[in-house]
Amino acid sequence: MALLDIKNLTLYIDIGGDTVKALDKVNLQLDEGEIRALVGESGSGKSLAVRCIIGAIPEYWSIKADRITYQGQDLLNMSYEQRRQIMRREIAVVFQEPTSSLDPSVTIGEQLEESIPPELIKRGWFWQQNKQRKRIAISLIHRVGIKDHDQYLKAYPHEIPIDVSQKIMIAMALASEPKILIADDSTRGMESTTKTQILRLLEKLNKTKKLAILFVSHDLLAITSVAHSMTVLYCGQTVESGKVKSLLKRPLHPYTKALLDSAPSFQLSLPTKSPLIALGGTIPTLQHLPAGCRLGPRCPNARKECVIVPPPRSIQDHTYSCHFPLHVPEKIAKRAPKLSRGLGADD
Amino acid sequence: MKLFIRYLNLMVVTIFILIVLSFFLPFLFPGDLLTNISGIVAQSADQRTALEQVYKLDQSIFHQFIFYIESLLNSNWGVSTNDQSNLYQEVSLAFPATLELVGYALLVSIIIGIPIGFISGLKNHNPFDFSVVTFSMVGYSFPVFWLALIFITIFCLQLEWLPISGRIDLLFDVPVETGFILLDIARSDIPNKPDAYLDALHHLILPTASVAIVTTALFIRFTRRSIMDVMDKGYIIAAKSRGFTQRQIFFKHGLKNALLPILPILALQISTLITNVMIIETIFSWPGIGRWLIQAIYQQDYPAIRIGMLIVSLFVMAMTITIEFITRAMNPARERAESAAV
Repeated sequence: MALLDIKNLTLYIDIGGDTVKALDKVNLQLDEGEIRALVGESGSGKSLAVRCIIGAIPEYWSIKADRITYQGQDLLNMSYEQRRQIMRREIAVVFQEPTSSLDPSVTIGEQLEESIPPELIKRGWFWQQNKQRKRIAISLIHRVGIKDHDQYLKAYPHEIPIDVSQKIMIAMALASEPKILIADDSTRGMESTTKTQILRLLEKLNKTKKLAILFVSHDLLAITSVAHSMTVLYCGQTVESGKVKSLLKRPLHPYTKALLDSAPSFQLSLPTKSPLIALGGTIPTLQHLPAGCRLGPRCPNARKECVIVPPPRSIQDHTYSCHFPLHVPEKIAKRAPKLSRGLGADD
Repeated sequence: MKLFIRYLNLMVVTIFILIVLSFFLPFLFPGDLLTNISGIVAQSADQRTALEQVYKLDQSIFHQFIFYIESLLNSNWGVSTNDQSNLYQEVSLAFPATLELVGYALLVSIIIGIPIGFISGLKNHNPFDFSVVTFSMVGYSFPVFWLALIFITIFCLQLEWLPISGRIDLLFDVPVETGFILLDIARSDIPNKPDAYLDALHHLILPTASVAIVTTALFIRFTRRSIMDVMDKGYIIAAKSRGFTQRQIFFKHGLKNALLPILPILALQISTLITNVMIIETIFSWPGIGRWLIQAIYQQDYPAIRIGMLIVSLFVMAMTITIEFITRAMNPARERAESAAV
């Protein structure tokens, strides 16, 4: 059974009296012990999806979903307190900007000790408990690969380098011994040695602790090196999802193909001095979302049928949402929906 | 420690500049320089030469300045032109009365303004928040002198609940010791102390209220804005995602971070507060430094103006720098900015 199961998650954002669907029927599944990557360009709604999962949403957002469940428990309809408990113990998040996710006025050590749940502390007098907390904090910090605990535990967030604070964020996430770790673009803007360290760390945690990781990123190289499966988002729509290997080998959605083509490292056969392949145009803004499949205006295979949102289709565990997938050019006529019937059914 | 020395240095330099400015004031005032400095109108040529010798007017300007600093430190602040009263005594009588009013107004504003600001900022965009915002806008827009007059009309003249002027009824013969009326009552040995307290508090209500309403409105607005900004920050979202309780998030992460940026702004408000207090003192005949200074200005009492301005500006400056220092010392993130800037 899936640990985290999201079906048809739609997020409405109120932008000055107008409501837009920032996420449109996003599907996401995270199985036990797997690393799933959530891929997409900047602005494709990856971080929005993360915020919907953790429930930290402002008042002018509203969520509609067929289900968001954690181990079969419905996250959307449970009480605030129950949800808080789950967030406290089961799900942990590492946010994309480590420096702004740490309280600037409290030392790292205090913040780390704060995130250790009280259930993990053995009973005793408060000084014994404090000692335990400190010991746990030090072991956590060692676990994420920082040896110099004295220097960093007493430091304030602005005094430490970004890669260290990213590791400390991971340590804080691990403090509650969670089942799921959501890493929201944890390697963004890092130099490659640090990035490799963090990726190895996540991989190790996944292998040794059976930690399920939702790895949100746009870094295809990083994803292909750690993730088992991936979900591709474009502009708030799930485009394709499946095992990383099969997606790399045979992308079914034009967007996935364009995404893979845009990273030259996947194209060993690229001749010298040939132009890099990229889709024309840019990702549309929230105010000007196209109807139907949002890739429509940029898609090389688009036809008029694409103004209707394609339903997800699966081949084994490989799911895609496209009227004209890359592998079945001959079946286009049969599968394409009738325009007259389908138009307006989905607004 | 380094920080403390820095601020001490800043304070000393500013005090020196203020003293230099106040030293040159009598040279700029119209009229006889000797009278402007000493407060005594010389009746004969002999007295004039004697006075000139005392104030070192026959020597260089440097000697005059040294003498000025010496007499400031020896609390020999000269006499008033009008009634030849000792300025040091006058100021030490009037200044505590002002401090008292400023202190109570500040206390009321902090006790009322900051919690209300937090409450309405944490649960914003509900009817309570909207009414708080409206009332603070209205309160902030009142001119202080007008508000005081309205209060007098309503509470003193129409309802006759509260006294119009002064600090305490003349019936109570409280000897002046510290200058703070409540302390003085406590230290005196008059027969009906409870009545005296009650009467003094009655006298305090209106002046404090008229000053405090504006300041409270300001504090509410600053606090509300600040906590709203802080609650949107990444570390609050991160704390929420870690499943901390609301209380834990607010007290551990929200409170300190919201207060840090507004403390310096509040410190800046002290000068506004003192200006307002001076106006209020005049309206309510509160025997404070503001009223005293305005009287001196009316009577062109130049020695009094000089000393009064020096004292008030010293006070404002000392308060501002002290609060700045406290904020700096509390805020760990400021240190880096400090070492980067000069």
